[in-house]
Amino acid sequence: MSTSENSYSEAEALNLLAQLERILDLDPLIDEVGFIHPSQLATLKEEIGNSLSSEDKDHESTSFWIRDHKLGISTQILIPVYKAAKHAFISALRQYKTPGNFSGKSQDDTVAIEVMIHSKALLLLSCDFATAWNSRKLIVSNKQLLPILMDELRLSAVVLSHSPKSEQAWSHRRWVINMISRNCSTLQWIIERESELVEKIAEVLNELKQSRNWSGLHVADNSCFHYHRRLMIWNLEGFCHIQDNNSSGYFVETYQVWKEELDWNESLIKRYVGREALWLHRRFLSLYLIKHIATHLLGVSCQSKPKASVDIDIDSLMDHELCLVHSCSTTIPDANFEDFQAQAIHSAAYMLWLTKQIPEYQGINIQEKLQAGAGDLMRMLKRSCPDRSSLWDYLVGYHSEP
Amino acid sequence: MGELAADKHVKYIISVEKKKDSFESVVMEHLRLNGAYWGLTTLDILGKLDAVDEEDVISWILKCQDESGGFAGNIGHDPHVLYTLSAVQVLALFDKVDILDADKRLDKINVDKAVEYIVSCKNLDGGFGCTPGGESHAGQIFCCVGALAIAGALHHVDKDLLGWWLCERQVKSGGLNGRPEKLPDVCYSWWVLSSLIMIDRVHWINKDKLVKFILDCQDMENGGISDRPDDAVDVFHTYFGVAGLSLLEYPGLKPIDPAYALPVDVVNRIFFSKK
Repeated sequence: MSTSENSYSEAEALNLLAQLERILDLDPLIDEVGFIHPSQLATLKEEIGNSLSSEDKDHESTSFWIRDHKLGISTQILIPVYKAAKHAFISALRQYKTPGNFSGKSQDDTVAIEVMIHSKALLLLSCDFATAWNSRKLIVSNKQLLPILMDELRLSAVVLSHSPKSEQAWSHRRWVINMISRNCSTLQWIIERESELVEKIAEVLNELKQSRNWSGLHVADNSCFHYHRRLMIWNLEGFCHIQDNNSSGYFVETYQVWKEELDWNESLIKRYVGREALWLHRRFLSLYLIKHIATHLLGVSCQSKPKASVDIDIDSLMDHELCLVHSCSTTIPDANFEDFQAQAIHSAAYMLWLTKQIPEYQGINIQEKLQAGAGDLMRMLKRSCPDRSSLWDYLVGYHSEP
Repeated sequence: MGELAADKHVKYIISVEKKKDSFESVVMEHLRLNGAYWGLTTLDILGKLDAVDEEDVISWILKCQDESGGFAGNIGHDPHVLYTLSAVQVLALFDKVDILDADKRLDKINVDKAVEYIVSCKNLDGGFGCTPGGESHAGQIFCCVGALAIAGALHHVDKDLLGWWLCERQVKSGGLNGRPEKLPDVCYSWWVLSSLIMIDRVHWINKDKLVKFILDCQDMENGGISDRPDDAVDVFHTYFGVAGLSLLEYPGLKPIDPAYALPVDVVNRIFFSKK
């Protein structure tokens, strides 16, 4: 960073803070803030110009840029403005918290406004400054008016535009929505707006289909598959709550959903070779499909109901998986193809994982089927993934138990 | 294999304590107490806690204490449980926990309910998220497993299942990541490693390769450790790198407790002095 940031006097820093706060006040609809290197800022000014008034002093035009509700702040002034904002905030907060110093409500309000103005500037520069978020909660909870609460949503959204992982900003949003839900009937509207920022589930199956499009483009994003797993569980839980006289039809539908997810997962596995997240997702899908089919079949046979029209056979499911794993775990002789080697390792680990997790069901013993091929898989894993040889040895011991 | 540049790291930590000019360090001043914990614990593991002025540190920490008894991240900030933890840990390093007017013990907390909540954060892959249904993450797993260990409730953990998930965090370079498909990061040398130790599955990873990865993350000229080789160093990763090496029994380092994240002698001192 440029060393000239040290050359800002206290007065200059206060001036910069005043300019920032004026900009924020003039445009309450700012939805994005970013920090820009001075040279880039200069380029932006030349190219597009900016909408600050002609009364700007030189300082301001080199330190801030604003257009279409997007605010850019020069990295050169960050430290002096931060220090000025923090100092102003702390002294305003101290004044606000000191009891009995005011003669009337209007003075109270003035100090509160000061706290809000300075904390806003401060939080745009240091988004995890918890004390500043706390002070806003304190003041807002004394008022609890919708416009003020909406302001809080706007501020946290702006912060999240440059710091999407800020725990404090997310936490503040949850707090605000909570406040709104206690008092206002506009909650439905808020929730709908909220889903522009966070994907909300309107209807599980619809969401599953929509998010498959996104997931298919982000196959290394484990979080999105975790999200899928949650959707699948909700789908399953929904099925479990259905009344008995309809269970056959719903079972078929649920089974279809899971089969579709498995097929989709398989197509991604074949297209994107060696992606860990895809195989981990398959572990979950296969295990739960098998567990729940078995549970349902047991339930059906106990109640002597007509069988589901779809012929669901765990044996053939497992055959299919074994086939898939076999096709993936045959490594290409040239071990330099990392992706194919990874595919072999992931598929073999997937099968061994499944073997260990699948419990034995009455009358259904998948273990024998799996153990037939397990030896080969383990030998391959010990060779290509020696870092985990203790784990593979442990599984050998497990498999050889009666 | 390279070596641990212990002296350089000590110098680096001392220098960080003094330098507060960059924007990055300025916007982290609200968590300085965490920084104190990371820096000072590293010094203690390296056997160099005496490199700092104990009086200075303790008097500053006490200025961070709020009338509620909790500690803030720095002077003038609001108290928070995270900084309170760091304050207690740092005081423990200096064997000065008794200066706290503390009457807080495990029996004052509803341990059963806490354990219940932690278990509700358990996922199908054996890991733990930060809330029920949250994605498994190595950092969360450490917090949950550590808490269960302290509460004597590790039987709630499926050690094989979790151990498997954890050992899969080791990537080709020998480093550990925090969840699938992510890059390795030195801080996971702590969170994954201590979790594996607590559930007795650390032999499922290649320890030598992990040692080499951590050593590769050092800045051999200026001291300090970074998240991965050739990146910029910081106190946070310096601490987790050194702590990870301690867990891996690297020579010349004080042993560290995997659950309390403090040197073993400090933890023992506290337990033996309890009434």
